[in-house]
Amino acid sequence: MIKLLKIEFKKILTYKIFWILTGLYFVFLTVGLLMAEFMINNIVDNTNKHLPIPIPHVTIYFFPWLWQNMTFFATIRYVMIFPAIVIIILITNEYTFKTIRQNVINGMNKAEILISKLLLILLISAVMTVLLALGTLIIGIAHTSDLSLVQVLEKSSFMIGFFLTMMTFQIYALFFGFLLRNTGLSIALFTLYVFIAEPILYHFLKSPIVFNNNISPYLPVNAALSITEYPSIPVLKKLVGLNLQDSISISACLIPMGYAALMIGIVYWALVKMDL
Amino acid sequence: METVLSIANISKRYGKIQAVSELSLEVKKGQVFGVLGPNGSGKTTTLSVILDLIKANSGTFQWFGQEPTNESRKRIGSVIESPNFFPYLSPVINLKIVADIKDLGYEDIDRVLHLTGLYDRRNTRFKTFSFGMKQRLAVASALLGNPDVLILDEPTNGLDPQGIAHIRELILQIASAGTTIIIASHLLDEIQKICSHVAVLNKGKKLFDGKVSEVLAISDSFDLSAASIELLSSTIRLHPAFQSLLPGIDKIQVFFKDEIDAEELNRFLFQHGVTLTHLAERKRSLEQHFLELLDNNNK
Repeated sequence: MIKLLKIEFKKILTYKIFWILTGLYFVFLTVGLLMAEFMINNIVDNTNKHLPIPIPHVTIYFFPWLWQNMTFFATIRYVMIFPAIVIIILITNEYTFKTIRQNVINGMNKAEILISKLLLILLISAVMTVLLALGTLIIGIAHTSDLSLVQVLEKSSFMIGFFLTMMTFQIYALFFGFLLRNTGLSIALFTLYVFIAEPILYHFLKSPIVFNNNISPYLPVNAALSITEYPSIPVLKKLVGLNLQDSISISACLIPMGYAALMIGIVYWALVKMDL
Repeated sequence: METVLSIANISKRYGKIQAVSELSLEVKKGQVFGVLGPNGSGKTTTLSVILDLIKANSGTFQWFGQEPTNESRKRIGSVIESPNFFPYLSPVINLKIVADIKDLGYEDIDRVLHLTGLYDRRNTRFKTFSFGMKQRLAVASALLGNPDVLILDEPTNGLDPQGIAHIRELILQIASAGTTIIIASHLLDEIQKICSHVAVLNKGKKLFDGKVSEVLAISDSFDLSAASIELLSSTIRLHPAFQSLLPGIDKIQVFFKDEIDAEELNRFLFQHGVTLTHLAERKRSLEQHFLELLDNNNK
């Protein structure tokens, strides 16, 4: 295990594309976070023009709701695509450079090849979770007046949701990489599926004219990204009166994990069956 | 002698093409075993099967007398087709990855880099290497940790004459230390210079195998005739370079171990009391011989 991680670590340590794409994830996340409050308050201002009693400005940066808001913004598909592309590149590189053949020649078995990439995903997800938690603590402490431990950590379980989303989403990417083997094709098809194919399918299945059923939320990407489904803005909640998510549900976690397990199984089967 | 590799009836088909057909081979410890054949004769496919890269449709193989596992592959150093490394990493990091996989320490890396003349470039990225250097790094990686067996697929392919000489010298040096070496090549000359044993493949089939000296032993032959064929036959056997004799009706064809020139042969026979009535030299190059072998198979 440690040996496999050591090998994977050598591959990413000086790999510029890895650091650039991972960096872009955090850049886009930061931009998104900064814009979110600004845009919400913009809407509030516009609405206030027609209201006798103005709605107060909202803030999304305070504890304990910040945990939920951070994980919501950190798992929208526009930022999640970056770590997914990283995984696709790291896997298809092995086919492009034929190093996967060389690794087998040198004495790796097919299971170890798959496990080493899964361990890498685990490591990347863990490190990103820690980084996001640190960022959340810094922003939260700067914006929250009541810094009692209970207040600060109450909703921190959303971090587990983030970790699971990050992990399962990257396993989806791994699935595309291992089966398609070609970098460009894998990235193109994965992006196409995440941004176009599944959203269309989602609305198609949901539309009352067609099926009017509840399958839509169980589509793989939607299921993974819905572990942390909504941001939480208490003021707006009261106003709108919606009863939105305020904790991580175990069943919401199990569905994408089931997909991930299935994909790992298929990839392993394909690795064993197919010539390298 | 201990058997390092035994292949039994391996066949591999790619669609309509039968890449390898019912191939059986045995490589013993300490042999430098050449797999000789033209392009597309199934050499690389065979090597890919015994290294678990592709699955044979039928047949079995054993390494070190046991069923093959990834542990047995760790005792083998291989260069197959092209040098496969991470282009953005330096040779040292690439070799560290190989060492990690093979459960070796890093202390051997400097030695193999020195051996292949890449030590000065050890920290430059692989993608800046010339093809010759890439090929040398592949050899370096195969040598890592002194493997029991070395498998080299066209090891001098694409190298300049100096590089070819360097790699061949290196192979002979490793062979002299007792390492078993398996080399695939389409170059007869290369197999002849390096190998002790050879198997000749064509269209996925083994034509024959054996000691290089026997299989590829070609000396020039002479057609000779004299008044008494009997006396001629007994006298020619006394020649120090005599190898074999093919009797004909009114002449004999004689093969020699070394190169013999006609004048010397004539003098030798005359001194021994035989006067030739006919002497014709038959020249045949190794390449010609090899082509003939393949040709016979194609008919």
